[in-house]
Amino acid sequence: MSDIWTQRILSFSRSPSRFLSGTTAEGFLAELLRELRDDRATYSLKVLLLSPLCESPSLLCLSDLLGEETALELMSIFNQCPPKSVQFRCHLLLALTSVLVCTSSVNNRSRASQDFLDLLLQISQDSNDLHGDVALRATACDCLREMEACSPGLLSQRLELLGGLRQRETSRLHQAYAGLHTLVLRNAVYQLTQETGAGAEHLKALLGGNTSVAWEAELDLMTGKDDSAVLSSLIRGPMGSVPTLQTGPDCKELRAVLSSLLEESYLLTPLSQAALLHRLTEVVAMVPGVSPAVFRAQLLRLLGTSEVCLFHSTLLMKSAFTDSLFSAEDEAFLLQRLVVLSQHPLLSPPEKLFYIDCILSFPENRPIGCGDDALPVLLTPRLASVLVPTVFNDSATLLARLHLLCLVYLEEEDEEEEEGRGLGYLYDHLTSLLRIVDNGGSREIVVTFFRAAFLFLSYFFPVERFSHSLMEELCSLYLRHTHLAPHFINLADQVQEQLSESNWATEFLKALQGAITDAELTSKDLSWHLKMLARVAEEGEIKQQSTVNFLSHIITSSSLCVKGDWRLGNFLLGVCRRLLVHPGLDALLIPLADVLQHLACRYGDTDIRDHARLYYTLLTTLSKDKLAGVLSQGYGEGGGQAKKRTFSCIVAESEGLTSLLTVHRAKTIILKLLEEPQTETGSGLNQNEDNPEEASVALEQYRAQFDVPGFASEIPLNYQLTHSESADSCFDQLFSIRLHFSLTDDRYEPLGDVSVPCVFRERPPPSVKLRLKPRRPQPTSLHASAIFTTQDGLSWLTDLPDVHVAFQQTFLPLPAPETWGRGGRLSLFDGLWDEMSREEPTGGATSLFCCQLQEEALKTLVEKHFLPYLVSDQSDKEEIKVLFFLPPQSHLLMRIRSEETVHFNVATDNWQLLPHINSYLLTLTSSQEDAHA
Amino acid sequence: MSVRALWIISHEKGEHLSLRFARRFATVEHRAKILAGSSYTAVPEDNTVLQLLLTELGLSDPDKPFVALRDDCLYRQRSPALELRVDSPGKGMLWPVLAISHGPITLACLPLVDAPAEPRPALASLLSVSQGLTLLAGLQTFLLGSGSKSDTEVLASRLAMLPSVLLQVCPLGTPLDVPLPGAPSTPTVPTHAENQKQPAWKTGLHRGRAAVNVALIETVRSMQYGNRSRQDLWDVYGTVTCKCEVEGVLPNVMVTLILPPNGSPLQDILVHPCVTSLDSSILSASSVDNFDGSAFSGPYKFPFSPPLEPFRLCSYTSQVPVPPILGSYQLKEEETQLRVSVTLKLHESVKNSFEYCEAHLPFFNRDQFGVVDVKVSSGQLDVSKEKNLLVWGLGQKFPKSREVTMEGKISFSGPTPGPTDPLCTELTAYIKLYFKVPDMTLSGCSVDQHSVQVYSSSKQRIITSRELQSKEYFIWNSTGSAPVSSGQMML
Repeated sequence: MSDIWTQRILSFSRSPSRFLSGTTAEGFLAELLRELRDDRATYSLKVLLLSPLCESPSLLCLSDLLGEETALELMSIFNQCPPKSVQFRCHLLLALTSVLVCTSSVNNRSRASQDFLDLLLQISQDSNDLHGDVALRATACDCLREMEACSPGLLSQRLELLGGLRQRETSRLHQAYAGLHTLVLRNAVYQLTQETGAGAEHLKALLGGNTSVAWEAELDLMTGKDDSAVLSSLIRGPMGSVPTLQTGPDCKELRAVLSSLLEESYLLTPLSQAALLHRLTEVVAMVPGVSPAVFRAQLLRLLGTSEVCLFHSTLLMKSAFTDSLFSAEDEAFLLQRLVVLSQHPLLSPPEKLFYIDCILSFPENRPIGCGDDALPVLLTPRLASVLVPTVFNDSATLLARLHLLCLVYLEEEDEEEEEGRGLGYLYDHLTSLLRIVDNGGSREIVVTFFRAAFLFLSYFFPVERFSHSLMEELCSLYLRHTHLAPHFINLADQVQEQLSESNWATEFLKALQGAITDAELTSKDLSWHLKMLARVAEEGEIKQQSTVNFLSHIITSSSLCVKGDWRLGNFLLGVCRRLLVHPGLDALLIPLADVLQHLACRYGDTDIRDHARLYYTLLTTLSKDKLAGVLSQGYGEGGGQAKKRTFSCIVAESEGLTSLLTVHRAKTIILKLLEEPQTETGSGLNQNEDNPEEASVALEQYRAQFDVPGFASEIPLNYQLTHSESADSCFDQLFSIRLHFSLTDDRYEPLGDVSVPCVFRERPPPSVKLRLKPRRPQPTSLHASAIFTTQDGLSWLTDLPDVHVAFQQTFLPLPAPETWGRGGRLSLFDGLWDEMSREEPTGGATSLFCCQLQEEALKTLVEKHFLPYLVSDQSDKEEIKVLFFLPPQSHLLMRIRSEETVHFNVATDNWQLLPHINSYLLTLTSSQEDAHA
Repeated sequence: MSVRALWIISHEKGEHLSLRFARRFATVEHRAKILAGSSYTAVPEDNTVLQLLLTELGLSDPDKPFVALRDDCLYRQRSPALELRVDSPGKGMLWPVLAISHGPITLACLPLVDAPAEPRPALASLLSVSQGLTLLAGLQTFLLGSGSKSDTEVLASRLAMLPSVLLQVCPLGTPLDVPLPGAPSTPTVPTHAENQKQPAWKTGLHRGRAAVNVALIETVRSMQYGNRSRQDLWDVYGTVTCKCEVEGVLPNVMVTLILPPNGSPLQDILVHPCVTSLDSSILSASSVDNFDGSAFSGPYKFPFSPPLEPFRLCSYTSQVPVPPILGSYQLKEEETQLRVSVTLKLHESVKNSFEYCEAHLPFFNRDQFGVVDVKVSSGQLDVSKEKNLLVWGLGQKFPKSREVTMEGKISFSGPTPGPTDPLCTELTAYIKLYFKVPDMTLSGCSVDQHSVQVYSSSKQRIITSRELQSKEYFIWNSTGSAPVSSGQMML
């Protein structure tokens, strides 16, 4: 049993959506709670069972009410749990916190959350510590802290109590109290800053715990008002403004609390200490009456620390207090420290990277600029020189250092003092990276090099001696390593896009063109060269004579045409096609026509010959403008879904062609299936009744029908196929839609594909009938996808939202013989009922569901939901008999009697259906109640 | 100051990647939703996160040479915070995802951004980032042990302990502590000492005889080029590790580091958080500062109250005037063979008594060794043909002259190519030195046994030790081009 649960919990946490598609959230929650109550389950299993509630409470508790109920249930489990199972009790507290916070119960101050709060406060004050309650107390404190964090001000009224607990505690637990106390203090002070007219008196009252009742109400109202502001950190660098509380110089009480907290901060773990310092920094920043000097005693200890979070909290303190706590020497020291820490041999790479980042947003006392990446004034090239990148750095460090140094030398460049020596170094570094790539560096180094090159260019493209020389180096690198072509193209693309003021990319492509056309040719490079030339040909400013000469040379002087490689042919056509739309086409006309003609006549592949001939015809017969018009339409494949593809489809080269031949994957959801509104078929009963008298005969006749294979084994489900709201307008008209369904479990037989001729947005949606064949009639969901064609001839694949098959959708009316009338059905009902309620182990089961329903409500309910399945006469008020048939051979029978409460007597030959019918009835009746309430 | 979720991925050899542990913190997520408002991006399901993470780490599709999403030269990341681009249905960015990798595992977490989401706040303004890094590093140490050996069974058992560990150190997404490395923390008997609060970082109390063990290890790194145009580099850093067994809730211990007369001051001193106070003069010297002759040069006093487990009390760097071993390495290409000539000189200030001393001479991008005709003036030479490596064991002592040489010729006529390396091509080659010298430091720094003070009633045993070891100690061939290793070379 526990193995099954372990598996289930695992598959829930792997993919909750997938898991819940096979069951209902309520059902799963109910099962979890039942198992948690089960005495036979071990506590380690129970801890595991709590994890869905801890991690995804909002997926299980779909309404606040359900959350409330779940919490009450968990609390009662907590109360009954023996004190010695500490771990389980701790996890229960965590689960309760998660459930209550995430269902907004805490914010609404609901009953359950008040009870829970009382429970936590009680635990946290109980210092008896029997049965290792230390862990429980620590957890309770953390739960309180989290609730206060999520619902600021929740514990404002308990400030004095919490302070007292913290001071009295001598075990390690004082840390938990300190964390809680500081957070509550911070939130309480924040609340006061939002009160108009609040001042020293209020603060004193708050700390003393003797707040007046009227005031309490006021405070409570505070929460919920712009939650995000109070949750945000108040220390936001030079641009942030902090709300303040005007108290005047007299805030002894607050100062006393602060110094007591700070004095003991040394006793906390670095992580908790950093959090405490940060909270207290916020408090002092909000109360100008307290001088930041309260922190001074801690500073030396913090400035020398090796702990990243403690040093960070010191930097944040500096950001908050600037020169009111840190002198100019302190500032210089801090920056030096950061530089030291950024390259310290004992620190881990992520820590060092973080420190580099801290240099970039160093909190200066007097910042000059406040843009992104404004370097601190004190960071001189000399100081930064220890951070220059070297080939021994890992990729991330190398790029981070390069970025920093680029910024440093960018400023230096302006000053023209050192004659760009630093810049020269960076360039040398780039070339040594290039050497490594040249010598066969790994993929990581290749990627790093191109990123470094882009970074360097993005700062220094105007420095021609470097950008030009880099271009030459890159060209020769390309010739030696043509397989890196995608990286080169990517670099050119990005430089062109991101650095629009530079023409480096064009120059670079031109240089590449020169290098390729001059180079000696080897066959393995050819496809890369052609790819590259195709990219070059996209540049209108680059003359293309040499490209055409190159093409003409390779097709005439090599065995290329004889071999007739289709892919290479396509690459060739790709270049030609771009040349056809090049603005300098006039000058290319004759040589290009020669190339095309040669291809059309000599190339060894028919497809390529055809295309070449087409291009040739177009080139020689159309005017330049028309040619451009025809070809440009098909241009820019991939992203441009909206482009029409008529003629250009035929003339497009490899990419356009493949885009026609391949199925594209739609990025958004385009189609969806909507349940078709049910059209009630009045159960026209046969008037010529030929009813079996005996129940047993009725059963026999009825069962005989199932000997025919496939009898009543399918559930027809009707849907409409429509556009989803988000679909792009280019998908307005879809053709030849083929829907494919796949199962998410083994409860049903696999479904065949369904074809729909077309879906137009403006026309009524076509209906789609699914015939589900259950193996076991239970809810399920189906993954659905569709392949279709758009007007421009492209094929697309899109996922549809999952189709959820609810339990009630698996119901069919009783498949009784057609000759029967009501009498026959009634006898059958009785026969089945008798069988099911027998004690024998037939798999049958009975159950009772009760609820409060007005007679009128019951009537509507029956009419609305049960009509097709009704066996008894509608006028029969005393007992309503309903029979759901669930293929392949399950039955659910209900006798509904209305007494004081409404009794739904349920019988079934498949006990596994009971939980489902239960939750079905629950939804039905509760919605009915609501409707009448 | 909290994290929204935590993931642990393992990648064993054979490129099998799997998510070994995941934890989401629902209440923190709830806060994230409120804080981010309309720009909130939910954390997708684990499989999606795994895919996105691998793409950003450059680990996805290892067999494809270029994947635009993975290899784009426009590098948006500002490490150590990754940005995961979440596709449908909840389009958006997950930022800042912190990831640290070591050996077979990668740990990642998503800290809460407790600031308005637009414009994106600076990483340095979020305390949750440094806290997340500390948490990840602590978990990593816990999972791998300090030895970082990839023992899959140990890893599996530690992973199984994680839920109960997290209950203590990060129950609701707000990290409170890092797990104690190694053994799981056993709840110790609570102590009700009068008046004195027990530090939260101290899991229990020591009972019995007091013992203090202070070990000082100095590490020397070097890059020697034997070339006038390139200055040789070396640096030294030291760490002081303590193991203290002292009675009392908050006992006071003081360790003092002393330098010989004229010793250059200790720089960049970093201390453990258990150090109670520091004199500002101790922190004044910095390696990146202009050298200040009047700088404080000790004694360096570190008063602290020790935790139970061993810890690094402090670390420092030092500038020493000479490297302990000065080497020269020359290679000459002669038709089919390579002429090798090496000289190593031990500086006179260094104690001539090693625990071990070895020089490794690897050769890359060549065929395997054919004939190795090399003579050494001292020590023993081992030849590993498959790895194309010469190992020169110098034993415990240099000869009286404090100088050893290696001369000879190597032909690379082996049947198969040797190892490759993109950095060491042609005549770019190095010697790497591995050595350890007990009972000495280069800076001269030492812990005086008598200066260790323990303010405690019982008698105590105090042990101090020191040693010098090498790390990344390279001597480059002066006839080839050697890579630049530091920017200080150009100044």
